[in-house]
Amino acid sequence: MNALQSKWLPGGVFVARRLAVTALTLLGLVTLVFAMIKAIPGDEAQVAAGPEASPAQVELVRQRMGLDAPLVVQYGRFVGQVLHGDLGTSVSTLQPVLDDVLKVFPSTLELVIVTLLLSLLLAVPAAVAAATWRDSTFDRACRVGAVAAGGMPTFWLALLAQYVLASRWGLLPISGQQSLDFSVQVRTQMPVVDALLAGDLAAFVDALRHIVLPAFSLAAFFAAQFFRTLRASLIAILESDFIVPVRAKGASFARIMLRHALPNAIGPTVTLVGVLLGMMIGSSVLVESVFGRQGVGAYLSNAVEQKDTYAVLGAVLFVGAVVCVSNVLVDLLLLAVDPRVRAAQLHGSKR
Amino acid sequence: MNLTIARGAFRTAPPLFDTAVYAIVALMIAMAVVGPMLAPDSVYVSDIGNALMPPSAAHWFGTDDQGRDVMWRVIAGSRATLLSAMLIVTAYSLIGVLIATLATVGPRWLDETLMRMTDIGLALPGLVVALGFAAALGPSLQSAIVAKAITGWPVTARLLRGIMRQTMTAQFVVGAQAMGVSRWRLMTRHVLPNSLDILVVKWAGDIGAAVLVLAGMSFIGVGAQPPSAEWGAMIASAKGYVANAWWVVAAPGAAIALAAVGFGLLGDILQVRRDPSLRGRS
Repeated sequence: MNALQSKWLPGGVFVARRLAVTALTLLGLVTLVFAMIKAIPGDEAQVAAGPEASPAQVELVRQRMGLDAPLVVQYGRFVGQVLHGDLGTSVSTLQPVLDDVLKVFPSTLELVIVTLLLSLLLAVPAAVAAATWRDSTFDRACRVGAVAAGGMPTFWLALLAQYVLASRWGLLPISGQQSLDFSVQVRTQMPVVDALLAGDLAAFVDALRHIVLPAFSLAAFFAAQFFRTLRASLIAILESDFIVPVRAKGASFARIMLRHALPNAIGPTVTLVGVLLGMMIGSSVLVESVFGRQGVGAYLSNAVEQKDTYAVLGAVLFVGAVVCVSNVLVDLLLLAVDPRVRAAQLHGSKR
Repeated sequence: MNLTIARGAFRTAPPLFDTAVYAIVALMIAMAVVGPMLAPDSVYVSDIGNALMPPSAAHWFGTDDQGRDVMWRVIAGSRATLLSAMLIVTAYSLIGVLIATLATVGPRWLDETLMRMTDIGLALPGLVVALGFAAALGPSLQSAIVAKAITGWPVTARLLRGIMRQTMTAQFVVGAQAMGVSRWRLMTRHVLPNSLDILVVKWAGDIGAAVLVLAGMSFIGVGAQPPSAEWGAMIASAKGYVANAWWVVAAPGAAIALAAVGFGLLGDILQVRRDPSLRGRS
């Protein structure tokens, strides 16, 4: 027990345990992808050798690819390959999947960050107002809106928003990540950040205008989830006993909300951010190709279209790994900023 | 005292809202059951002369690039979409029940193993993993259903294991155990029946989410393939000409949204029925 009371040790133990869990999750992911490869119908050697290969040639290919080895050995080899960063080779680009995917990942990262900010920007003020004027017309409208936004298919919203706001009204660019008029030096592969780094304000605005529609289409669903969670916890906090004396001492409404209610109610929403961040990265596959963005999602849907199954599975492995890592980062961040999480994780009861 | 009046007096949520949700769900189910029978055969036959007609009296939601009536295609495709979603949720719920049961009755190491597996499943992005499986199995509606069914169980398993553990500590279970009831009988006659009500709630709510995931997979191209009238596939094949004919995309998407919202809200209503203290929370 003494060890647990020292300042740093419990944190270290927690971080170590969390990292171990992540390693296990990554191994689970690799196993899943191996299972997917084995689920591909047909004889792998036959497929690789081509339809006209003779049985002897197929046998040769089987040996070369190591497919004659027991499944466990094949699995071990696969894990080894992945650990060496070999996620397979794309049949259509003839490039290693990892190289291709790393090249386009920054674009997805940028889209996800903007989506996260946008969905919080939509959800937090709406939830504060809705919880304040509970059961008002505004509250009702927001709740109906949240239900609708949570049910709309992301890709459908993307197509319609693109049609109405871009094609029809010409308010925003239809597709792409950046106009060709600007030649900003590519440093991070993130158009918005690159434009900022280059100090080119016009290019920055242009890149932002390109990201608005995809980010909005993605954000609608997530904003709805944030809104519902934050509104519910705000209402619970505003009804709780400690708000009464704050009211009684004559604190202004803004003070009650911003100083007392919001900080106490934000916890579940922050946790939800961590959970949904992974889902946002995955959902990029639904909007990126619609808007002609060059991200991992577009790579994935393009590979599906090309029937490039190994590229699809490589990209699935990559996205899954990114989501795992982002989950850990969010957990550690929460641990660092929220004393309640710290207390629960470090000193609370273990499951 | 008249309890009926008292119940009416404390009722806060307008029953009109619940009725609307029931109506949407009933409409969806009716459409899935009789829709494909009512739809004319022309929904799978192209009539190029009639292509891309805007909504009119003859074609309420217009026609697509093959001149097929969009409204009838949505109705004809409802079974593919809704039945698949129900199948998916039913399948992974069963897997979830099985895993939760094994974790509850099994030895500690089995519980640990199964729950670590569940953690892994929960940590991975569901859509992407299902997409990978469907792509590996070869793009088709069946692949998409199988892919989501074998990857969707972790949430159910986790939820149910917690509830079953709770039920295990209930007086009547402890009593039955003391009477020497066999493990099998204890599980099937006492614990399971008293833990599964949450499953009905979750089943309804999850169908909405499953419709969205299934449509998403079809849209990307690993699910139902054209000329199927599955709603996601309809949008996928119409995405190239939204600017000329928005209605071909709008109608199936609205149907997806309606189904997702309807079943999602049904889940919420059932949840409140199960635990009335949650009323008015969302």
